[in-house]
Amino acid sequence: MTERLGWLALALAAAIVPLLTANTYYLYVVISIGLLTIVTAGLNVLVGLTGQTSLGHAGLYAFGAYTAALCAARAGLPEWAAVAAAVVVTSIVGAAVAAAALRVTGPYLAMVTIAFGLIVEGVLIEWSSVTGGPGGIFNIPKPTLRTHYWTVMLAAAVALWLTANLRRSAWGRACLAVKSSEVAAESLGLSAYYVRIVAFTVSAAFTGAAGALFAFLNGYISPDSFTLQTSILFLLALLFGGLGRIAGPVAGSVALTILPELLTGLLDYRLILYGSLLLLSIYWLPEGVVGALSRPRRGGGRALSPHPALLPSGRGQGEGAGATGPLLTASGVSLSFGGVAAIADVHLAVERGSIHAVIGPNGAGKTSLLNVLSGFYAPQAGSIALGGRSLRGLPPYAIARRGIARTFQTAQVFGGLSVQDNVSVGVAGPRLGAVVAALVSSPGSRAREAAIQSRAQAWLDTLGLGDLADEPAEALAAGLRRKLEIARALATAPLLLMLDEPAAGLSPAEIAALDRQLTALREQGGPAVMLVEHHMDLVMAVSDRITVLDYGRAIADGPPDTVRRDPAVIEAYLGAST
Amino acid sequence: MYGLVALGYHITWATSRTMNFSQGHAVMVGAVVAYAMFVGLHWPFPLALVVTLVALAGFGALVERVAVRPFFLRASPAWLLATIAVGIIAENVAQLTFGKDARAFPSPLVQKPIMIGSVGFYPQELLVPLVGLLLMGLVQLFYHRTAYGRQLKAVAFNPEAAGLMGINIPRAVMVSYALSALLAGVAGVLLAPLLNVAPQMGTIIGLKAFAVAIIGGLTSAPGIVLAGLGYGLVESFTAGYISTRAREIVGFGLVILVLVVRPWGLLGEKPTRRV
Repeated sequence: MTERLGWLALALAAAIVPLLTANTYYLYVVISIGLLTIVTAGLNVLVGLTGQTSLGHAGLYAFGAYTAALCAARAGLPEWAAVAAAVVVTSIVGAAVAAAALRVTGPYLAMVTIAFGLIVEGVLIEWSSVTGGPGGIFNIPKPTLRTHYWTVMLAAAVALWLTANLRRSAWGRACLAVKSSEVAAESLGLSAYYVRIVAFTVSAAFTGAAGALFAFLNGYISPDSFTLQTSILFLLALLFGGLGRIAGPVAGSVALTILPELLTGLLDYRLILYGSLLLLSIYWLPEGVVGALSRPRRGGGRALSPHPALLPSGRGQGEGAGATGPLLTASGVSLSFGGVAAIADVHLAVERGSIHAVIGPNGAGKTSLLNVLSGFYAPQAGSIALGGRSLRGLPPYAIARRGIARTFQTAQVFGGLSVQDNVSVGVAGPRLGAVVAALVSSPGSRAREAAIQSRAQAWLDTLGLGDLADEPAEALAAGLRRKLEIARALATAPLLLMLDEPAAGLSPAEIAALDRQLTALREQGGPAVMLVEHHMDLVMAVSDRITVLDYGRAIADGPPDTVRRDPAVIEAYLGAST
Repeated sequence: MYGLVALGYHITWATSRTMNFSQGHAVMVGAVVAYAMFVGLHWPFPLALVVTLVALAGFGALVERVAVRPFFLRASPAWLLATIAVGIIAENVAQLTFGKDARAFPSPLVQKPIMIGSVGFYPQELLVPLVGLLLMGLVQLFYHRTAYGRQLKAVAFNPEAAGLMGINIPRAVMVSYALSALLAGVAGVLLAPLLNVAPQMGTIIGLKAFAVAIIGGLTSAPGIVLAGLGYGLVESFTAGYISTRAREIVGFGLVILVLVVRPWGLLGEKPTRRV
């Protein structure tokens, strides 16, 4: 409620300024704030949601500005058409840059984007037949300052609205999931690379729009406006305002536009000021001004809607019924790390609807096997097939899409997302819909969202996490994290669920509950389960079949009773020879 | 000559998986301090050099303390921005004390060029790669032959385990930053006579050095030195045959190309994904 009032006050303030003053200087300052807001709102999608840093957005800003300027000044297009053209061009450029640059992340990406920005700047200066060289482009037909004021304010409001929609959509959650744990996101069928490209492209489109509007502000543009300093300013405004928060760009833009205006006398100290501000905001305002001001709100009782308490139907049942043969077959799989064989010539077949345990002493290659089967490691030899189709060479997210879900030895929940949102990422999987639909929150997108949320809630209720739905996932205790991870993996409706030591660190009561849940899953026709586990009581109680690994080799394979009496297994575990 | 600066990225990256994004500014600080001592105060060159190097090591330690340590164990890119912040502050301070204008740095090695055919170059230009190779050799020796160097490598591999073995990690990281800034200082002093000394010189040098580090592979010192030489050659050819401006465009285009084809660099180790 207070939030809504805040936005209303902001809108009113923006509306009142031109009525109160005829001084064009003030209008000019507020327009600058609006433009910076549009850029940072877009940048927020990239930096705030996916956690990747770009220091080249001034280059994209330049693309927007020059495209619009050329369309308006040379081709004589009206302003709206020029802006639209700028958005389209910048999106395409952004997507191309992202496709190349996002093969790397983190500091590498920062560097590549800096390089991109400098290349653009260089081209603007050099290619004078088109860009006007160092002098830039003049005589862009500009609207009156007052008209432009309204255009920019409207655009800024729309930009904020769009990013707020995106944050709440499956796309927003996918971005945050990729930021929090790339590995876990890929295990749910999300391609981190693709998600980042889309986020980069969205931010490019916003930046392009702002650049185009900037061109119409002064009626001329020159390369001076699109330097590395500009890129740093964009990022600084976002960080100062509050990363990942919808209101962050507004706060940051206001502060960083007004501050230099107030301190024009200190022009020589501007860089010191920027630098200190950047340092201070990283130190003391990790969530920006907006983050520091807003109290963390606890969800006060979610309205419980009635849900059928049965296992939400998944892909697991239907497809399994008609098909024959084992679900997953691995034959002759070998993997070695620098000469040390982690897995050697392992054969394995997991039947549909069964619980198949993989056990063995520490270092026997169990987790490595799991990583090979889910595509995180590429085996040197052997073949793996799911339902008769080879999985060879597929990346993890593609294997997840085929129907293998997994958990991790150290539970990888998505920090920054609530418990329910964690499961929603699993429910949606790679089916995120069109990003434009998510931005404008189309009826289709909202219907999809409602469906996803009700499925997610159903999964939480099934696993007894319903009461914790609104808690931040990183606040959960270890046992609950594992449970959440299982709920999230199940939510992808897999054919095969691979659990990596789900009982590690659980209390006896929790293990008993896990036992019941696994058997219930089998009885209700859930997915096949591959269980890597040390806890023998659990393994012997639930498994249909057990494969024993030792030094990377499968030394036994069969039903629990046979395996229990196998001399090779006894030797491996007890070191006793018979 | 970029190889020398780029080596600085390698050193801190190898120890801490972080790096000083204002490495170029360290070069600038080196050049400015050396100028102040040598030209401003008329100190003898060796003394000016020693003071500069000590000052730079201090600068590196400061960067680590202020911009990296608070964020080192947090898996956040905050250090990236924090080091940039320190860099732009340093640039502004240099502007205020040194002035905005570029000044020439006198050196006996840039008095008259040596001519080979129609191509002329200064002895100083030969000195830069030689010193670069020498320092690379020293750095390699330090890492592979001394106990402390090996400790630094251990920190890079697994900070937690290294800490349990009694290695003082914050100090190790600080040392690597001091060392890295020191190299930048050497580069600053060497480059000062070739380029002119100016507060704004840092950004572009830092970027090109980073480009070199990426091309060569952040994890490989020899790769970086080779890439440094190669990059320098490509630059001079582009400048000679196309235009000075195209130099930067071609150079950074090259980086993007390398990243697309071989993101871990020409001689770098391919990172293995830990699951």
